[in-house]
Amino acid sequence: MAKITYVEHNGHATTVDVPDGWSLMQAAVTNAIPGIVGECGGSRACATCHCYIDEARLGDLPAPEEGELAMLDMAAAEVRPASRLSCQIKASPALDGLVVHLPETQG
Amino acid sequence: MLHFDPYSPAVDADPFPYYKRLRDEAPCFWSEEAQMWILSRYADIVGAGQDWKTYSSAAGNMMTELPNRAGSTLGTTDPPRHDRLRALVQYAFLKRNLEGLAGPIRDIARGAADELRGETTFDFKDFSAKFTVRVLMAALGLPSGAEAIVDEDTVREKAVLMVQSDPRTRAKGPEHLAAFDWMREYAAKVIAMRRAAPRDDLISNFAMAEIDGDKLDDREVLLTTTTLVMAGVESLGGFMMMFAYNLATFPEAREAVVLNPDLLADAIEESLRFNTSAQRFKRRLMRDVTLHGQTLREGDFVCLAYGSGNRDERQFPDPDRYDVARKPRGHLGFGGGVHACLGTSIARLATKIAFEAFHEVVPRYSRVADQLAWMPSSTFRSPLVLELAVH
Repeated sequence: MAKITYVEHNGHATTVDVPDGWSLMQAAVTNAIPGIVGECGGSRACATCHCYIDEARLGDLPAPEEGELAMLDMAAAEVRPASRLSCQIKASPALDGLVVHLPETQG
Repeated sequence: MLHFDPYSPAVDADPFPYYKRLRDEAPCFWSEEAQMWILSRYADIVGAGQDWKTYSSAAGNMMTELPNRAGSTLGTTDPPRHDRLRALVQYAFLKRNLEGLAGPIRDIARGAADELRGETTFDFKDFSAKFTVRVLMAALGLPSGAEAIVDEDTVREKAVLMVQSDPRTRAKGPEHLAAFDWMREYAAKVIAMRRAAPRDDLISNFAMAEIDGDKLDDREVLLTTTTLVMAGVESLGGFMMMFAYNLATFPEAREAVVLNPDLLADAIEESLRFNTSAQRFKRRLMRDVTLHGQTLREGDFVCLAYGSGNRDERQFPDPDRYDVARKPRGHLGFGGGVHACLGTSIARLATKIAFEAFHEVVPRYSRVADQLAWMPSSTFRSPLVLELAVH
């Protein structure tokens, strides 16, 4: 279990308990958090779960694979160094307390 | 005593009362008839879908699997092999790469809808079958027109038979296996044609594809093509039947989307939740798991009852209500996780265009029959015939 805080573009923050192994995208849509769409269902086939990871915690995450980086190119909002697809990030105790910022649009 | 038999015609016709009992009384249930565990609650199904290392697809994903298919298709492999196959196929299915298909799909939809003009009653399958096969031929690059090697109806008929199972033997019957063999031979011919003279279509690209010098082997090309034709024809056609069934059953919903076709997208999402055609898929455990007080053993098969998770009141309030304004986020109509449906974008696009064209010709309709004949399948659910009366 990890407590993850999602901060929408308008500043509204929601913290949810995410079971180990669940992706951050899945937890967001299951908890009806606006700002993450997850159109493809988590198969890395769209970029509508784009998020920005708190930069200080980037090192706690496994690096993105090539397929994730290629798909991030399709993101509707600005892609930054801390951009990730939330469907590719699995919750674990190491991520407890992580803050995830959501972009203005998912397209 | 609780029973759940995914081969029972009663489950084909209406699985939802069974699902509710499973969710409430036995959320992790051993089905003697299916010889597998049934997971029926939303959170458990999502959790399993997120954990492909434990819930493996490599021993097959259809509840009643076709022989020698597991291990060579997207749905029946685990990462990293799955990811390699998916990378080769996925490109053509990305939303932005489908934009060019919207025009041709609209032409196909209008052509199929035009044939309904003047009818007072008709089987919706006549529309959905024509539309689906033609769209798939355009999307995958199956030979059509002067180049066609078989007629459209045969492709559809075989695709539909492949996903069925025999309710008495709880296995694939000879007619289902023959349809699978037919489809494999058909796919082999198409692959040979495209390899001899490649074109800019999915099967040509897929048959010739290479990533870092790594090519798909012949078996992967053949069985993945076979599965794409099956999934494309049967799943899209089956889902359209279910969507038409819902709109014919709930007049307020139909009136709303006819009046404002922009609402079709929301109505499609709600149909994916409410009674999607992909009801149940299968996984195999790679380790022992304890769930709801039960110990599931390594090697056991597990059914992920997506159709039940979609009606779980723990996730979706008032789940048995078809509500086009619901916007059901996180529904399981396309499965989820690494194996989430490859065709999500084309399915949404094609269904929306099809119903826009259909409603231009037939805006007011209702079901003729109260009781329908349902397809015998342990995996998918849709009516075999959907008679509609035009008002």
